[in-house]
Amino acid sequence: MVAAADDIALDVQDLHKDFGGIKAVDGCHFRIPRGKISGLIGPNGSGKTTTFNLLTGVTPPDRGKVIFKGEDIAGLKPYQIFRRGITRTFQITRIYREMTVFENLLSVTYLKIPMHKARARAEELMEFVTLTKLRDEYGGYLSYGQQKLLEFARALMTDPDLILLDEPAAGINRTLLASLLERIHELQRMGKTILIVEHDMNVIMNHCEKIFVMDYGVNIAEGAPAEIQNNERVIEAYFGHKKDANTGSQKR
Amino acid sequence: MEKSDARSLYMLAGFLVFIYTMPFVVGMMSGNIIYDMQWLADLTTVVLSGVMQGGVYAMFAVGLTLIFGVMRVINVAHGEFVVLGAYLTYVVFNSPQFLGYGGYIDPLLAMFITLPVAFCLGYLVQKVFLNAVIGGPELTPLLITFGLGISMINIIEWIFSTDYRTIPYFPDAFQITENIRLGKNKVVSFFIAFFITFSVFFFLKFHRFGKAIRATAQNADVAMVCGIDIYRVYLFTFGLATALAVAGGTLVSIQFGFNPETGLTYTVIAFAIIVLGGRGHYIGAFIGALMLGVLENLVSFMVPNGTALVEMAAYGLMILVLLIRPRGLMGPKID
Amino acid sequence: MKSHETVRDLTYLGGLCLFLLVLPDQVNVYYRSFVMFTMMYVVLALSWNIISGYTGYISFGHVLFYGVGSYASAILVADYGWNWLPTLIISGGVAVIVAIVLGFPVLRLKGPYFAIAMLGAAESFRILATVWDSVTHGGEGISLPNVENSFATYYAMMVLMVATILVSYWIGHSRFGVRLNAIREDEVAAAANGINTTFYKLSALVLSGIFAAMAGGIQANKTLYIDPDTEFFILITITMKLMAMLGGKGTVIGPIIGAVILYSIQEIVWVQLPQAHLIAFGIFLILVARFMPRGIVGFFIDRGWARKGMVH
Repeated sequence: MVAAADDIALDVQDLHKDFGGIKAVDGCHFRIPRGKISGLIGPNGSGKTTTFNLLTGVTPPDRGKVIFKGEDIAGLKPYQIFRRGITRTFQITRIYREMTVFENLLSVTYLKIPMHKARARAEELMEFVTLTKLRDEYGGYLSYGQQKLLEFARALMTDPDLILLDEPAAGINRTLLASLLERIHELQRMGKTILIVEHDMNVIMNHCEKIFVMDYGVNIAEGAPAEIQNNERVIEAYFGHKKDANTGSQKR
Repeated sequence: MEKSDARSLYMLAGFLVFIYTMPFVVGMMSGNIIYDMQWLADLTTVVLSGVMQGGVYAMFAVGLTLIFGVMRVINVAHGEFVVLGAYLTYVVFNSPQFLGYGGYIDPLLAMFITLPVAFCLGYLVQKVFLNAVIGGPELTPLLITFGLGISMINIIEWIFSTDYRTIPYFPDAFQITENIRLGKNKVVSFFIAFFITFSVFFFLKFHRFGKAIRATAQNADVAMVCGIDIYRVYLFTFGLATALAVAGGTLVSIQFGFNPETGLTYTVIAFAIIVLGGRGHYIGAFIGALMLGVLENLVSFMVPNGTALVEMAAYGLMILVLLIRPRGLMGPKID
Repeated sequence: MKSHETVRDLTYLGGLCLFLLVLPDQVNVYYRSFVMFTMMYVVLALSWNIISGYTGYISFGHVLFYGVGSYASAILVADYGWNWLPTLIISGGVAVIVAIVLGFPVLRLKGPYFAIAMLGAAESFRILATVWDSVTHGGEGISLPNVENSFATYYAMMVLMVATILVSYWIGHSRFGVRLNAIREDEVAAAANGINTTFYKLSALVLSGIFAAMAGGIQANKTLYIDPDTEFFILITITMKLMAMLGGKGTVIGPIIGAVILYSIQEIVWVQLPQAHLIAFGIFLILVARFMPRGIVGFFIDRGWARKGMVH
């Protein structure tokens, strides 16, 4: 199915990253659809973390393009990528510990709005993640789940178009996760595009409209959850070849 | 080796070559050098002196690298311990005089007294000041050792005043060739330094407790789980490092004059060495020490006002290594 | 920052200024000097606070800006016959250049390595001042022409102090300051959230350098003699650090309180026991680092007597 350019939020083309002999990412292509929640999965060592780092500017790619709003953002620094409208969260929260919740939100830059509007927006977001009561508490004193919510809110300060979430389910209980996912869906209804990198299959299968699967540095499949669940290559990647082990070399 | 890793090594190597040729270039430009056999002989003497000096530097550098490697503590007071060693030796050396017997105690034999004292001192410092803050923010132990260093300089100054002291020892020299002479004190110092450094190396490599130390340096949590008492390791390591520093101070005291303020210079030198050799890498520290010793002597020899610039050279070298290749020559990968 | 709070704080500042304005006429030279040096340390502690407290890059060599400023001013006055006031602008300018040139490489280093790099830089400047005697008069030092400057330097320092307080206050309560704090807390997250860390760090270093340098310039014209060992004296960095840490680094009031308390204690103790006070400083630094890392203000915050955070 050919999607019109308009429908694509992020176009990743032929990304390569080599770490001195180990090809972490070896020709990765995918196109993230606009306005939907997508997922990126793959077994350990598949290159999805590296890909995530390439997209967020933490590591520069050796080759390849990442087109966002008509511009190739591959190789830009994190703060530059941020300023173009892509925000991210971290797998293990990186909120500012000795600053209050309110300050954590206000620290976000490139808002291009005066202080009182920034304040109002911060208040709004604190409401959105129900952290208003903790407004003047140090980030470091919040529970882990609250920190996750704070980081999530922080990623929304600039009203970004594309939000990349790095293992949002990691380390939090199911109740909090459900509430986080609810907010993610709300964002999607507002027209935002979201990409989730995850290990938790429940989250991915039940909440993503489109899933990209990686293994050995390349995409091996993409599609809706039902298709992915039945895809042989995906099953192989996670569980190994189904034929018995006596056949010698396994096709991987 | 990863691509960028090899690249940074080449850059560092190239840069080092450049640094080593600089003194020659500066010397040539200042115009008043005559290139004859005498100069060559002088140069050889200088290089050999540099190696000898490097051996002594190694004593304090390896102590510092141990402290950093095992405890991730940056001991800014390390140079002060070296100077303390020099003063302790001075006291022991002159003690018969003070006690009214006349004569002197051989400073090298004095090490049998000064080193255990140093070990206990280091042990105490770690116990009282540092054990509690390991594992916290890296800056706290840094500030603590800094405060310690300042206190030490001034206590020494209070007791001994800022006068330069020396310990006359083996003032004569070995005549190697017609033009090359090496001070006996330098040669003896080098061999002692070498002996001590390598004894400690073998201890770390083969003795059970030495292995425990290395394990803790690699990963303290795992070491703890394996039954190693990491706090005992820390105490011992700091004691050992202090003893090494004091030994270095003894060897320095028989070669150069010292006063309370020379400590800071030694700290800068020690840091430059461990950055160059690789933080936490024992052999790297030794190699770095030799390299720095030679470089310093070259600078001293060929650059006008060289002796004052030596500290700056060490410092500049350190900064540049930190920028080009933070892991130094042989250190672990830094992320 | 709620506006009534700003008005309240400015009123306090105004009151202080009034008090300080009237003071010199009422007291003798000794007290004038004492207050002047207290004000100088307030400036120094606040300036150290900008790079080390707000931005979290703890500098062990801040005295280099002070020394550079004092030398710039002294050389212009003694060797080129300038009037001392305009030289302060040059002092500031030199500080900006030094901050940028030094900052570029050195701000890339992490915590403790930055600290040591600054320490070494300060030492290098000291050696440079000693060795480059054609410009700096080397170890002999520079003697400035003897002009009765007691009142003039007092007022100049007062103006500088007010300026430093105002700038620190602004930083502390603005988004610029919040971003500096973000860099201190987690530089990776800060970058990921759009903060151009290189620019912010350099700005912080430049700002902190300017004030320290001007303080040095004024001091040179007050004591009328400078030499490399006094101007680049490591104790000055320690004092700055201790004052800011004692009061509470990363706050506005902290360094001010710390400076006033510590300088007063120092004056009293030093008069009695000149040698011991350096030792005491070292020990004091150890105690503060170990037991009171957040300073007096931090102590108040932890007890709930003061609010957390700076921007509300």
